[in-house]
Amino acid sequence: MRRLFMEPIGIFILAMLCQVYSCASNVSDSVERMQYASVAGEEYLLGDKLETNLDDKVYFDFDKSILDAEDKSLLEQYLPEIKKAKIVRLEGHCDERGTREYNLALGERRALEVRDFLVVKGVSGKKIRVVSFGEEKPLKSASNEKAWAENRRVEISLY
Amino acid sequence: MIKFFFMIVFLVSNHIFSILEIEILKGSDNLSKVAFVPFGIESGIEENYGIQISRNIEKNMLLFGEFENLAVNEMLSYPSSENDFYYRDWKVLGVDYSVIGKINSVNALGNLNISYSLFNINRRIKILEGEILGSEDNIEDISKIISNRIYEKITGLRGIFDTKLAYVVNSDANTYQMCISDIDGKNEQILFSSKAPIMSPDWSPDRKKIAYVSFENGLAEIFIQDLQSGERDSIQALGMTNSAPVWSPDGKSLALVVSFSGNPDIFLYSIRNKRLVRLTNHYGIDTEPSWSPDSKKIIFTSDRSGSPQLYEINTKSKRKKRLTRDGNYNARGRYFPDGKSIFFVHGNNGNFQIATKKLSSRYIETLTSTSLDESPTISPNGNIIIYATKDGSNGYLGGITLDGKARFSLPVKNGSVREPAWSPLLK
Repeated sequence: MRRLFMEPIGIFILAMLCQVYSCASNVSDSVERMQYASVAGEEYLLGDKLETNLDDKVYFDFDKSILDAEDKSLLEQYLPEIKKAKIVRLEGHCDERGTREYNLALGERRALEVRDFLVVKGVSGKKIRVVSFGEEKPLKSASNEKAWAENRRVEISLY
Repeated sequence: MIKFFFMIVFLVSNHIFSILEIEILKGSDNLSKVAFVPFGIESGIEENYGIQISRNIEKNMLLFGEFENLAVNEMLSYPSSENDFYYRDWKVLGVDYSVIGKINSVNALGNLNISYSLFNINRRIKILEGEILGSEDNIEDISKIISNRIYEKITGLRGIFDTKLAYVVNSDANTYQMCISDIDGKNEQILFSSKAPIMSPDWSPDRKKIAYVSFENGLAEIFIQDLQSGERDSIQALGMTNSAPVWSPDGKSLALVVSFSGNPDIFLYSIRNKRLVRLTNHYGIDTEPSWSPDSKKIIFTSDRSGSPQLYEINTKSKRKKRLTRDGNYNARGRYFPDGKSIFFVHGNNGNFQIATKKLSSRYIETLTSTSLDESPTISPNGNIIIYATKDGSNGYLGGITLDGKARFSLPVKNGSVREPAWSPLLK
């Protein structure tokens, strides 16, 4: 079973299943429905992650989702490897301050900011998966500026 | 879908130990003193029951720091009926209210008839009397019913001793548990346990289901779990992130957040026909919806002005109104049960605290004094707020009564506890 879903044909079948599943439920806006047909298609997580030598995180200011010049140059160094990967997973995170559900949305904003930059640089948007964990998965559990700064991040993993 | 079966660690279990126990930090500003006299017993009934029932009532009444008690060994008499009751015995001890009662046997099967009375000592009148039929097995439930009636008579507020609390426990870095317990911490149940985060629990109005967000499949999805059967279903609202589910007052739909193309907006989701209807449409973040008690409006957080602020939207006309202007962070608003005020998380100078605001006024009143307070939930009678806060890296729950400003905490024995959600009253 596991092996099947790592094969291209398995992914194709899953994508079709998701398509069928999504059409079965009613969404008021049909354009939106088509755009996000494969929400449950996270099976690539069962496959092997590609190891890289680069720092795989970019950091953000409190309640902000803007990439600064430093983040952008870091991402640019990363581009050749990102282009080689089959799937690029961008995981947005926040620090513990503020409310959990708002932070979930903010984490998604941060990951999208990275996605948009990668797409501009020629990475196919189709292979990018954007996920937010809000403040639920901090790297550091302390409650101070240093820990918060490390927790406000987007993690990039390649599959 | 396949993963669903492989990866979920799913259990429904009854734990005898209680994780949360309320500790009073500061009593109400003007505590009334109540004497809980051990109930009299008819001969032939286990002697313990009389003390057990008055103790239970006492524990309930003292739970949130709203009253003080008179120790049993300081009492001058132990009346169990009105005939033996003398106001002066209580007046001299500074007692404001006395509770007495008697347990009578109905038959040999353990059925009991429990009568009780409440006296206002200062006004020298009996203000409540009642009778309950029950059995030896449900003394605790009977005590809760009596406690509710006494609480209602003294405070004029609905009794909440038979309500429950839902919360998320993070017992170690990789274990998340969706739990419920009685409001006094007893009868804890783990509804669902996962290696991935769980958030945003919300009770259905009939108290039979809980909606929450789980990351078990690698992203945020909303699940509805039936408390009786333990069955759980993902609602498949699609979008990149599905989050922040809250039940409508009639229990027929959820307000929730779906992020299509990375833009979170508020939607209404009809549970029966699985239809999703858009409520907000803005490029900013719209999240944390909650219904007004009359279900005509929904309060939500939006950063459309540049910082998170609270807004309300009429679900029919879609007309919106901004509710908060002071401070650069006002989020996760909820209406009071009377619909006239709201409570929310207010960020000020880097501190995040629980605050309230009347809808008719601009003034924001901060209730808490710690700095990382979030997820406030209110008792169905509108008088008590429980919220999540932090001490070092451990999350615990704090609480405050609104009328008397009593403060209490619900420390957890191991790990972190957060996202409390107070159940509705039983219908």
